[in-house]
Amino acid sequence: MFLNENIKDQIKPVALSVADVRKSFGKVDVLKGIDLKIDAGERVALMGPSGSGKSTLLNCICGIEPVDHGSIHVGGQELSGLKRGELEKVRRENMGYVFQSFHLLPTLNAFENVEFAAQLVGMPKEHRLARVTDLLEQVGLSHRMDHLPSALSGGERQRVAIARALVHHPRLVLADEPTGSLDTESGSQVLKLLKSLSEELEVALLLVTHDHESTRICDRVITMKDGALLAG
Amino acid sequence: MGHYFLLLGIVAVGVGAFNGIRQASRSASANFGLFNQAVSGQSDFLIESPVQRLLEEDLAKLTRLSKEPDWHLVPVIEGSVTAVKNGSEDKKQLRLIGLDLLALGNLPTLAKEGLKFSDEDANWYDWLGSKNEVWVGQKTADLLEVKQGDSISFLASGRLVKMKIRMILNDPDGNLPDDLVLADLPTVQTLLSRPGELNRVEVVIDQVNRREDTAYLNDIENRLARELPQNLSLAPTQNRAADRAAMTAAFRLNLTILSLIAILVGAYLILQALDAAVVRRRSEIATLRSLGVDGSILFTTYVLEALVLGLFGSVAGVGVGQVLAFGAVGMLSDTVNALYFATSVEALNLTSIDVIVGLVLGIVFSLLAGWLPARDATQTPPAQVLARGDWSPGFSWLRSPVIGLGLLLLGGIALLFPPFVMEAGSNMPVGGFLAAGCWILGAALLSGHVLVLLAGWVRPFCSGPVFRLASSRLRDGSSRHRLAVAGLVVAVSMVTGMFQMIDSFRGTIEEWFDVRFQADLYISESGVTGAGTVNGIDPRLMDELLKDPNIKYADVMRICYAKPPRGVTVLAGVDMKHWSDQARQIWLKAPGSLQAVDGAEPALVSETFARRFGVMAGGVVELGTPDGTKKISPFGIFCDYGNEFGMAAISSDIWSDWTGSDRPINVSLYLRDRAKLLETRDRLRLAYPGLDVRNERELRDVALGIFEQTFKATDALSFIGLAVAFAGLLLGLLSIFDESTQTWQTLKHLGFSTHGFILAAGLEGAGIGVAAWVAGAITGLALGWLLVFVINVQSFGWTLLWTVPVESILWFGLLLTVVGFVSGMIAAIYWNFRR
Repeated sequence: MFLNENIKDQIKPVALSVADVRKSFGKVDVLKGIDLKIDAGERVALMGPSGSGKSTLLNCICGIEPVDHGSIHVGGQELSGLKRGELEKVRRENMGYVFQSFHLLPTLNAFENVEFAAQLVGMPKEHRLARVTDLLEQVGLSHRMDHLPSALSGGERQRVAIARALVHHPRLVLADEPTGSLDTESGSQVLKLLKSLSEELEVALLLVTHDHESTRICDRVITMKDGALLAG
Repeated sequence: MGHYFLLLGIVAVGVGAFNGIRQASRSASANFGLFNQAVSGQSDFLIESPVQRLLEEDLAKLTRLSKEPDWHLVPVIEGSVTAVKNGSEDKKQLRLIGLDLLALGNLPTLAKEGLKFSDEDANWYDWLGSKNEVWVGQKTADLLEVKQGDSISFLASGRLVKMKIRMILNDPDGNLPDDLVLADLPTVQTLLSRPGELNRVEVVIDQVNRREDTAYLNDIENRLARELPQNLSLAPTQNRAADRAAMTAAFRLNLTILSLIAILVGAYLILQALDAAVVRRRSEIATLRSLGVDGSILFTTYVLEALVLGLFGSVAGVGVGQVLAFGAVGMLSDTVNALYFATSVEALNLTSIDVIVGLVLGIVFSLLAGWLPARDATQTPPAQVLARGDWSPGFSWLRSPVIGLGLLLLGGIALLFPPFVMEAGSNMPVGGFLAAGCWILGAALLSGHVLVLLAGWVRPFCSGPVFRLASSRLRDGSSRHRLAVAGLVVAVSMVTGMFQMIDSFRGTIEEWFDVRFQADLYISESGVTGAGTVNGIDPRLMDELLKDPNIKYADVMRICYAKPPRGVTVLAGVDMKHWSDQARQIWLKAPGSLQAVDGAEPALVSETFARRFGVMAGGVVELGTPDGTKKISPFGIFCDYGNEFGMAAISSDIWSDWTGSDRPINVSLYLRDRAKLLETRDRLRLAYPGLDVRNERELRDVALGIFEQTFKATDALSFIGLAVAFAGLLLGLLSIFDESTQTWQTLKHLGFSTHGFILAAGLEGAGIGVAAWVAGAITGLALGWLLVFVINVQSFGWTLLWTVPVESILWFGLLLTVVGFVSGMIAAIYWNFRR
């Protein structure tokens, strides 16, 4: 098992590397020396009870929350020491984010929501339009492209969010309870979609979830408790 | 905590602006020269002529009255003179009051108060007949830098005279106005070239301790009235204050309306600020709702908060009002001087009514402003619903055009209302003001639709993420975007309307000047320059002046007040042949186009006069003159922008017969050799230092100076309105960003840069500015039309040439866009910093 992991490292590039990350809020140690690696195309489920530090870890990986100690590499780029603008660049170029409550921009339609992320990385127009159309077809929403989020169902909104998270070819997608606001059937469709697209596009996925069912699409499950990882 | 201080400040400024303007306008315009007000406290009755001039024969008729032991008669003459500060070019207009010192010495009140008129003299007999001597108050003496025994130079009736300061009146309480000069009656009559004339006779009752005894006062009044000659009138003193106040009622009402706008925009700020508080606390409110807290409790909490803010803010506002009043009173008294009558600034007087009105207004407007956010708070859903995204339920009625369209229609209907005729004969265009209010409010409610429409047009051209985000948010037109636009539209439309009125007025006056003033030189007394002044030139001086060899023709004008059935008007004596045949006017009805009625004196009347007395198509108007009631009938109507009371011009000879005077007020000179215009002007100036000798250009500058003075208050209030509206925009944008917290969080996760966020916010602000400009400019155009063709015509009776200052409006649009952009960025930076 240990040997296999090492061979893997040699074959695939690392999408995310977290080394001895610590974070405290006041006197509360929220992250107590986290070590984590996710390879390109690998899907990892992160489970743990509320207050275990999952959201803080995601925020640290995003670069929204600075760490007190340790290092985080996304796509080989070290986050600590980067300025705000550089962090924003890493986020928009290397990461995709899927929220529990979808968080689509309410004033843009489905197509524009997806296109927006592509625009942020400066993707050329022709390529961008084709890419957005293609992705929306893949998530089964080619007929709902010009609908505003308010006119879409929960499952449809989350599929748009997935397309948005993938449109700019990120190395890592962070999904925070992506099925948390969905019914079972929609949740199941969303998970399938995440799996197939991450496989097809070779994107690493860090899936935060409470739901054991969701972990079935992942290669690995890690559990977090009281700010530390229990298993990997 | 700082937030609450800001809100308190906003209420205080709103209430303060209202109270300050109210007090200042009262102090500046209700002031008049009753000597007893200044010298001995109070007189009880006034005997006046309808035209405010009593002649010697009138005094003779009062002989019987003067022998009664129950009262004292104090004849008074008043006018204005210009003091020339020794050794400098500085001039100061002063109010000169002439008193019969003998009568004054007998006054019981004066004796009690012990105001000393002389150091060395044992009693008042000693200062009788003190020719060429004046008394001034301490403040006046300080201002003119003179002391007892000094000489002071005055320009009066066109002459430069020197007077000796007999004494500086001791006034430890500062009751005397800072422009008061007292002198013996004959001295003042000579100074003002009004021999044998009085303004009025004041009656002071002997038993001053019975002033509260109504029965006693009624008895005195009846006895006085019985003996009073028919052509004179008797009224309690306080009525005169009311009459004077009535003369400026329209002016003061206009100011009140403008200051109400200040309080309205203040209320808008409160609304925005309380709304921002509701949005910021939305998650807290949502949690309370989840816990089962009733909506009515939340509503009451917010309304109570508004009430407390209103109460404390209003208390502070009363103080702020005092400060503002100190600043504004000088400016307003200048305006009153220019438009109505010579006045001076009285001590500001904060009455209990002022305090109550300020408190009530502040509280009522705060409650109204707090009501909408309080209602919004009750509509906040429980926490679990709120957690699903940005939530914007408030002010959803702003999305419906029905109320806005209804108000526009109501405004149109209001135009059908006739003007309300006020006590002094001025008209108040109630329908016009109502229409203006309805249109502004209606346009404000509809302005959100303009925002959405414009954003929809612009959006296809927005390709980048920042532009696309900003345009999509504007096109979505949330209620708070609409509210921000609406607030700005009120200020923009008001200012655009004012721009037009002022520009139309300026343009009309310039045009009028071009046509009307064709003479070479214009001469008037060097004193009050206001349109309402009746200061005159000594007739002997005028005769002397007209002997100048370069004068070909002199158009001499004489004016006095005349008494129509309501209010006052101006009766002028002119060379009718010259006015009909040669003098150029903008004629609404050329001379002869109306048929003068037989038995009435033919007159050329101003448009204001014709409209006011309903003789646009001819007819007869009865006017009270010193020679009794006379009839005049117009045979021509000319445009005149001199005053709002109107003017009727009759032949000089008839004027002199009716008024018993031949004192000219001004003269227009036509020269034989126009090449020597400047030389003649300088020669006349040198020979007559007490006269203003001006050519057309100089006269135009003076007139436009009066014009600019008149609109100072309007400008100041427009500026306050705009400043408050922009502060409201900032608060509104903060609410918008607070409400979009989830969107910004999403963008942050997507890697949207902070610069991008700030730029997008700036573009949103700019979009709001542009929409407010478009909606406000359209409304402003309608308001301009309303001001020029309805409100001005009904209030002042004059027709203006409607000028649309396109360039100013375009610059204003650019300013709004830039300010909106900057406001958006500032709000975004602050919002970002707060998080």
